[in-house]
Amino acid sequence: MSPRADRSTRTRATSGRRLVPYVFIGPAALLFLAFSLVPIIIAITLSFQDTQTLGEGDWVGLANFETMATDTLFRTALVNTLIFAVGTVPTAMAAGLGLAVALNRPLPGRAVFRALFFVPMVAAGVVVGVIMSWIFNTDYGVANNALEALGLGRVPWLTSPSMAMATLILVVVWTRIGFCMVIYLGALQSVPAEITEAASIDGAGPWARFRRITVPMLAPTTSILLILNVVFSLQAFDIIYVLTGGGPGFSTTVLIQYVFRSAFQDAQMGYAAALGLVLVAILLLFTLLRQRATRRAESYL
Amino acid sequence: MTRPTVGRRQILAVAGISMVGALAACNGESTDTQHLRLSSWNIPTDLASYQRIADAFVADHPGTSVSVEVTTGQFHQWFITRLAADLAPDIIRITPQQLGRYAANGSLVDLTQAVPPEYREDWSEPFWAIGQRENGLFGIFQHTDNFITFYDRQVMEEIGVTPPQAIEDAWHWDEFLEIAQEVKQVTGRYAFSYGWSGPETAYRWMPLIYQNGGAFLGEDGLTPSMDTEEAIGALEFGRRWYTDGLVSPSNMSKSGGGHVDFDLFNTGQVGMALTNPEAIASFDEARPGEWGVAPMIRNSGEASDLGGNTLAVTRSSKNPELAAELVAYMTSRENIQSFCHDGNWIPSRTSLSAQDIGYAAHEDVMQLFIDQGGTIPLSMVRAQSGEYFSSLNAVFADYLDLCLLGELTPQETSEQMMEAMLSVTSR
Repeated sequence: MSPRADRSTRTRATSGRRLVPYVFIGPAALLFLAFSLVPIIIAITLSFQDTQTLGEGDWVGLANFETMATDTLFRTALVNTLIFAVGTVPTAMAAGLGLAVALNRPLPGRAVFRALFFVPMVAAGVVVGVIMSWIFNTDYGVANNALEALGLGRVPWLTSPSMAMATLILVVVWTRIGFCMVIYLGALQSVPAEITEAASIDGAGPWARFRRITVPMLAPTTSILLILNVVFSLQAFDIIYVLTGGGPGFSTTVLIQYVFRSAFQDAQMGYAAALGLVLVAILLLFTLLRQRATRRAESYL
Repeated sequence: MTRPTVGRRQILAVAGISMVGALAACNGESTDTQHLRLSSWNIPTDLASYQRIADAFVADHPGTSVSVEVTTGQFHQWFITRLAADLAPDIIRITPQQLGRYAANGSLVDLTQAVPPEYREDWSEPFWAIGQRENGLFGIFQHTDNFITFYDRQVMEEIGVTPPQAIEDAWHWDEFLEIAQEVKQVTGRYAFSYGWSGPETAYRWMPLIYQNGGAFLGEDGLTPSMDTEEAIGALEFGRRWYTDGLVSPSNMSKSGGGHVDFDLFNTGQVGMALTNPEAIASFDEARPGEWGVAPMIRNSGEASDLGGNTLAVTRSSKNPELAAELVAYMTSRENIQSFCHDGNWIPSRTSLSAQDIGYAAHEDVMQLFIDQGGTIPLSMVRAQSGEYFSSLNAVFADYLDLCLLGELTPQETSEQMMEAMLSVTSR
């Protein structure tokens, strides 16, 4: 083969190799473009419009964002969202960690327990909502019948504005514990046994070992779980929609529900897009704060 | 070790094959057939009925075809996104409460030219008004349903009450409350249940306002009028249901998704249920032979819930004239008769009686529903099929819930509801 032909073959091989990564990331990039980037751009443009549909709107500048300032339902939904997130995220994570620690040791039927705790995570939100609406029905629900059998009074689980949010949190925590448990279980396996053994030899008790070794070693996992759980809580829609419909009154109306209502019931796509952007902004802000806090915490490890 | 290399030709070959596959997948049927798509709620009997009627239409119209699809998920979400993509079905089955927005914003096609003039005579004024606008006819009401009073025979025997059978003898509110108190004594829990089925059905309580001589919106179908004495009186009546313990708090406008009303009746916790014909199958299964029916309650006026569905043609249709023709065909007397027979629906045509339909069971009950349909007021129809009704219904659900819960007094409810309604209608 002549040197020229050889050079040409090498050039072709080099350019072929350069193309390979693009072939692999191409499908993912296309999906990201179609299902994330383009919708985000559309949502941003919609938030500056007054439109009933996904287009054909009038440009209104910042009017949608100004409306939020005087919208009492927006404020109520925002406060409810924060209560819901504060109620669900730490509780689910703490319970998940507790279960993971409990199931991270040899126990008879350990695999069965792990599976049982994870099952609620797999169940569809609508199904969970329907079943829970039966369980927590004031009049014929299993929960109240059990309380009555124990000689206790009936509880207005879903019918009292002061109880409905607590019941929702209880249900959502139940669905999420399994997920937190599985992630923590995986992380616990990666805690080096020699460190805990060394601490044990040095006289550290189980609680000290857990607090001083296990918890700090789980920090990266906790950080990811925290962000994921906050995202889940801000996106929680189906269970609330089925279980309470945002009521009684406005007591369980959360921001994502208000976005849905503005978009499809009120046909205010522009306002709904603006509300959605606020939700994204909250999430971004939280993620940034969390990342900064984690970085600082890891630097002490 | 040599790394496997992927050459440009191989990449191009893979890309080429993928492109061909993708194009093949996108390739639609290229024929001269005029194809129509009709979308309905996922009710198997109805889907079969639509397809059967559509097949008969196709047999009369060579070169056409019709497929019946299912409307999935939440209606507005489903329809708005499909309209935006210009992929909405040619014909949709839509409730009167959902239709107003789309008739007003140009999403539906005027059917006037396709509908025989004599059709108008066989629909009552309120039922025809659902689709009729000043600028055209945007839907034909195919079938209806409404609310009557179901009662537990044994409970009525125990309290010694013979429920009325004719519409003109319907219980007035004060009579009904007295009877309800006695029923509550017998059941030991509550007196009656109401047929809400989640927040989107809050409007099912609106007939109470009209029974008291009030109105949700003024005669123009736009001006909020929940500040009248009659409307506030209706709210006071509704509030009493809960303060007197006659209705369970789990059965309310925003809560009580699914069929809490049926469950309460089937479990004997109430002795009466104000609800729609869907209850028949449930009560027949759980309590066969143990229930009876009476007309819907009334006060100074009569009114019942506006249930049922309309057929409309969407702006996405590539063959709107043919689609409109199919809608007219589906709403012919013969086809409404067979559709209502198969699906146990109440006909929208006034000339059809229960006997004409030939229901498989409970002909007397179905006739009562047909008669009760005549009490649905025109002003309520105009309000519920208006442009802003989806939003107004959400407002109604919010404040009715707060009133029934006792969080707001009827007067406060009226004031706050009016404010919220005005913010919607002034958009």
